[in-house]
Amino acid sequence: MQNLRCINKEDWNSTLKRLLVSHLIYATTENNSHLDYELITEADVNRISYNRPKPVTPLKSFFLPVSENVTATNSHGKPRIIIGTPNCDTEGLGILDEMYLDKDFKDIFYKSKRENTILISADCFGILEHCHCLSYGIKPYSNGIADLSILEKGGMMIFRILSTKGEQFLNTLTAVVIPEDKNIVEFIEEKHSSTESLLKEANKGLPDYKRTGSLVSEAKKEIWKKYSAKCVSCGACATICPTCTCFLLIDKPGFEKIKQLDACQYPGFERVAGGEDGLAELPQRFRNRYMCKYVWKPERFNSVACTGCGRCIEACIGKINKNELFMELA
Amino acid sequence: MNTDGNIYKPIKAKLTEVIEESPLIKTFVLVPEKEFSFKTGQFIELSVDSIGEAPFTPSSSPVITDKLEVTVMKTGYVTEYMHELKPGAYMGIRGPFGRGYPVEKFFGKEVLILGGGCGLAPIRSLLYALEHYKDKILKVILCYGSKTPSDCIYKPLFNRLNSIDKFEAYRTVDKADEEWNESVGVATVLLDKVKVNIENSVAVICGPPIMMKFGTKRILEMGYRDEQVYLSMEKNMSCGLGKCGHCMMGKYFVCKDGPVFTYNEIKDQPDIWN
Ligand SMILES: Cc1cc2nc3c(=O)[nH]c(=O)nc-3n(C[C@H](O)[C@H](O)[C@H](O)COP(=O)(O)OP(=O)(O)OC[C@H]3O[C@@H](n4cnc5c(N)ncnc54)[C@H](O)[C@@H]3O)c2cc1C
Ligand code: SF4
Ligand code: SF4
Ligand code: FES
Repeated sequence: MQNLRCINKEDWNSTLKRLLVSHLIYATTENNSHLDYELITEADVNRISYNRPKPVTPLKSFFLPVSENVTATNSHGKPRIIIGTPNCDTEGLGILDEMYLDKDFKDIFYKSKRENTILISADCFGILEHCHCLSYGIKPYSNGIADLSILEKGGMMIFRILSTKGEQFLNTLTAVVIPEDKNIVEFIEEKHSSTESLLKEANKGLPDYKRTGSLVSEAKKEIWKKYSAKCVSCGACATICPTCTCFLLIDKPGFEKIKQLDACQYPGFERVAGGEDGLAELPQRFRNRYMCKYVWKPERFNSVACTGCGRCIEACIGKINKNELFMELA
Repeated sequence: MNTDGNIYKPIKAKLTEVIEESPLIKTFVLVPEKEFSFKTGQFIELSVDSIGEAPFTPSSSPVITDKLEVTVMKTGYVTEYMHELKPGAYMGIRGPFGRGYPVEKFFGKEVLILGGGCGLAPIRSLLYALEHYKDKILKVILCYGSKTPSDCIYKPLFNRLNSIDKFEAYRTVDKADEEWNESVGVATVLLDKVKVNIENSVAVICGPPIMMKFGTKRILEMGYRDEQVYLSMEKNMSCGLGKCGHCMMGKYFVCKDGPVFTYNEIKDQPDIWN
């Protein structure tokens, strides 16, 4: 119980309203059955939707905007609270942290956004069609990276404390207490295991993260040809992916640089002077994304490069399903 | 580099001189506004204001720190704008980036250098560094190939090198003209001429992809071991910081882990020659 806190939902809502004075609050809300983040105003506080899988927008958008002037003054702005992030997204921050906060070259824009944010993840009660986090070793609830995790139980909000920053934040809120009801632990465990069962059932036979690497590197040319046949190089899979971070620096007058999200799925990504291009052909580009996520990044980083959120499957206009590809390879 | 901790921000450098090396190649002499130094083989991102930036390995001596020289071949969008620049203009510099040549590891050894085309730019910087440490190096042999005599850059460099004790320099062209009295053929033909003690030597290769590929093959056939061969790799680059993903070669970010690798380090990575 030491790491648990709770607050009445009514008190929580009024706390949020109070926090709006000093913070920007982004939280998951439902619109036409789509879940997404919304910048919350007083009127929206009771519309926040908790514990639903999965906002349309990946969490990375809060830290790596599609386009950002990285030569401008790094202004901190109001502190932010982000509420409702599923764990596939919080875990996705792992590899972003490794890349953007690396000891040799720290990205000060990313760093201040990270420091300026309190991240309140939400444990998933239920899954969507393409959710497969658990197959890649990611639980449907956060155990780190986020500062807190939130669960709604009747009229009560329960917090699991995941970082000192999260604990300190809760300490400043008067109505937050340590729960006394022993059933709370049971409630949490029951929610966790029932979502895990749903994930296991839905992804029977899907190879796990450890196997993906050898499956991808040993896959025959025909596989890439077959699955890329309907790819139009739109880059939606990379744009929507919580762990895809490639970008391009674009020059503006005054030696200013705009950092613009990019994707290896676009033609010319690896083109060098003289026209040589290792990714000139569509199947090569298509394969590159898989090699990057399941073979190369795992050799280099501790965090996973695919969290199994399934967004790339949902976003693909060619209806290419990477899980079908893996089932075929297995 | 002092840019208030912002890794994306260039420092300004004044273009003080433009040297025409060949019809397509110019050397830019730059004086940075803030302190700037590099290790030989490291590269910089050089920008033309509001146009774009591209990676280049300085061709000047790493020992000189008040100015630097960058030799640029005109090949496309950004380099074309660079070739238009006149002395007095300002350019942007980010860097230095990556891992250059481990010159200290060459001490007590013979250094065989195979270069082609604009690959001589980074090599010139290495030659200056080796000249600086002349007492610690046994021998330096340069084999350089270019397409035609008019594409040969740094003409005075060759005479000077041949006059330095322990240095030998050879040139070849794919296609000779009437005045050419040196070798004819691709760069690797020069390797037949040289005498090296392979056991106690390293080989450095820098040039266009095709030369890197066949040059490496030939050097290995001569008996060099994979870890004795140093390659300077060229990939598409944007950030230079191991973040933007453009330069990935298997698990490596060429900008950060390279651009100089031993053949041993990269031989198992995919698509190393393009
Ligand atoms: C480490 C390193 C050191 C180098 N050192 C030197 C050196 O010392 N001297 C030298 O001359 N060169 C050097 N080069 C090569 C030099 O960087 C290139 O010649 C330069 O980038 C060419 O730029 P450009 O805009 O003129 O050429 P372009 O061919 O116009 O453009 C190359 C860039 O623009 C993009 N691009 C252009 N057209 C397209 C298109 N149609 N679709 C998509 N993308 C496109 C490419 O992706 C690429 O990033 C070095 C390269 C590296 C990696
Ligand atoms: S993939 Fe897992 S963590 Fe992500 S929304 Fe689905 S169940 Fe939740
Ligand atoms: S590759 Fe697909 S499933 Fe994996 S993290 Fe990216 S969007 Fe999610
Ligand atoms: S150039 Fe950006 S990662 Fe290497």
